[in-house]
Amino acid sequence: MKLKRLLVRLIAILAVVALAAVMFVIGRGHTVYFDNKALETDDASYEPFYQVQVFVDDESVAKLGAGDRGMVSVMGQDFSMILHITPEKDAKKVGSAVKLTLPYAMDGIILNIPALLNGAPEEVYQSEFIPAPVEEEDEEVILSDEFEMPLEG
Amino acid sequence: MSKNSTVRKRGSLAAFLRHSSVPIMFIIICAICIPLSGLSPSYLVNEIVTRMGRNSFLIISLLIPIMAGMGLNFGMTLGAMAGEIGLILVSDWQIIGIPGMVLAMILSIPFSILLGLFCGKMLNKARGREMIASYIMSFFINGVYQLVVLYLMGSVIPIKHSSIKLPRGYGIRNTVSLLSMRQKLDNLIPLTIKGVKIPVATFLVVLVLCLFIVWFRRTKLGQDMRAVGQDMEVARDSGINVDRTRIISIVISTILAGFGMVIYLQNMGNIATYSSHSQIGMFCIATLLVGGASVDKASIGNVFLGVILFHLMFIVAPRAGAAITGDSMIGEYFRVFVSYAVITLALIMYETNKRKTKILEGERLKLEQMEEEAK
Repeated sequence: MKLKRLLVRLIAILAVVALAAVMFVIGRGHTVYFDNKALETDDASYEPFYQVQVFVDDESVAKLGAGDRGMVSVMGQDFSMILHITPEKDAKKVGSAVKLTLPYAMDGIILNIPALLNGAPEEVYQSEFIPAPVEEEDEEVILSDEFEMPLEG
Repeated sequence: MSKNSTVRKRGSLAAFLRHSSVPIMFIIICAICIPLSGLSPSYLVNEIVTRMGRNSFLIISLLIPIMAGMGLNFGMTLGAMAGEIGLILVSDWQIIGIPGMVLAMILSIPFSILLGLFCGKMLNKARGREMIASYIMSFFINGVYQLVVLYLMGSVIPIKHSSIKLPRGYGIRNTVSLLSMRQKLDNLIPLTIKGVKIPVATFLVVLVLCLFIVWFRRTKLGQDMRAVGQDMEVARDSGINVDRTRIISIVISTILAGFGMVIYLQNMGNIATYSSHSQIGMFCIATLLVGGASVDKASIGNVFLGVILFHLMFIVAPRAGAAITGDSMIGEYFRVFVSYAVITLALIMYETNKRKTKILEGERLKLEQMEEEAK
């Protein structure tokens, strides 16, 4: 009886840990930045398109002219988007579906659209977004006044 | 015969009025304040529905210790702190949306269990003075929480993101944004009826908790808790481990309070790191008492009635205050002092009733003794 109870408890704990692990993976948030900018590497150079419209989950999240950057927040590592590309002024729009696996460790990921669509390797079209350090004044920590009732319920 | 039944009816009506004096008082206050506030019925219903989703889970967490005779658990603040720690960690790990909420709840469990065990053991030592002991303990653990969040997070406990960390390099900012999970549960199943937004998923979670409470009351452990709540000595004589049962009730309450805090904060959309939890216990207890609960008796119905009346007063009081006096701050003060007054009144009524019962019991025994002597 005691062994059975111990086993049930162990299974319950393992189930909770497994659920936490699943949440840890599927709930990872990323900010994806789309660059419609020129990019030059040692081997090739990629020119921006006249206009790029980005759709994620059937919703237009960015409309980028040459040199523009857009962004979207997504959850999980499987990322798919549909791009409506206008290569040049007065040119016909071309649709393109893109599926990517986002790196778990990166919070912000920059995708260079011209490089991505021209078949550049991952390390060329994808890079990590590192926010510029901001000089901040030290924030004064306000500890609560225990004798005050919060006014927002 | 008919005279007797009339007297009995009058007696039961008086008892009903005495027991329901707090809700009746609030109904009167609301009835006066609503027209004065000038707020539209649809606005009021919207606000009440939102607040019901936001607060119910937290308030329901108070029911189990009441069942076990431990009174109003001011120590639920401990669970709220555990929930906040879970949310801070999840925010730093960038786990967002519903998975973020679930993970924060899971992370809060070990903290809640540890704090609940500690609180339960302390309350067993302070038997008979559980409420004041748990109230003071919440101040003590708040100090420990501040030590962890203000000094250990970022220095000992790794915190990566500068949006959470204080500019000095350690400690957590006054406000942590939960924008990535704001109202995710509330909006999971979108439903709007005549302009009133219903947080269906949140209500479903609350419903599950209500069903759990109903089921739990019928289990062996639930029955033990009720027995302990009614009479500890009798429960002990019948073979119930009273101390263990009381500790379990506090642990369950603390865990539920942790979950409730996660639900509360996902609705608010940010954590006031050093103050969100500080008065949550007082606040929930006042709501429960306004719903007609007492120190030794509370039901799920009291929770919902309390949320409706207490929050209705919260919404309309500032506007009514402004309409009457020309200063909305009067209304703000009013709702704050009324909250404290309700708790004071409930405690006084509980002690008065207890004393009355004791006197009546003494008189009954005296009469029985006299009758026996006469024989």
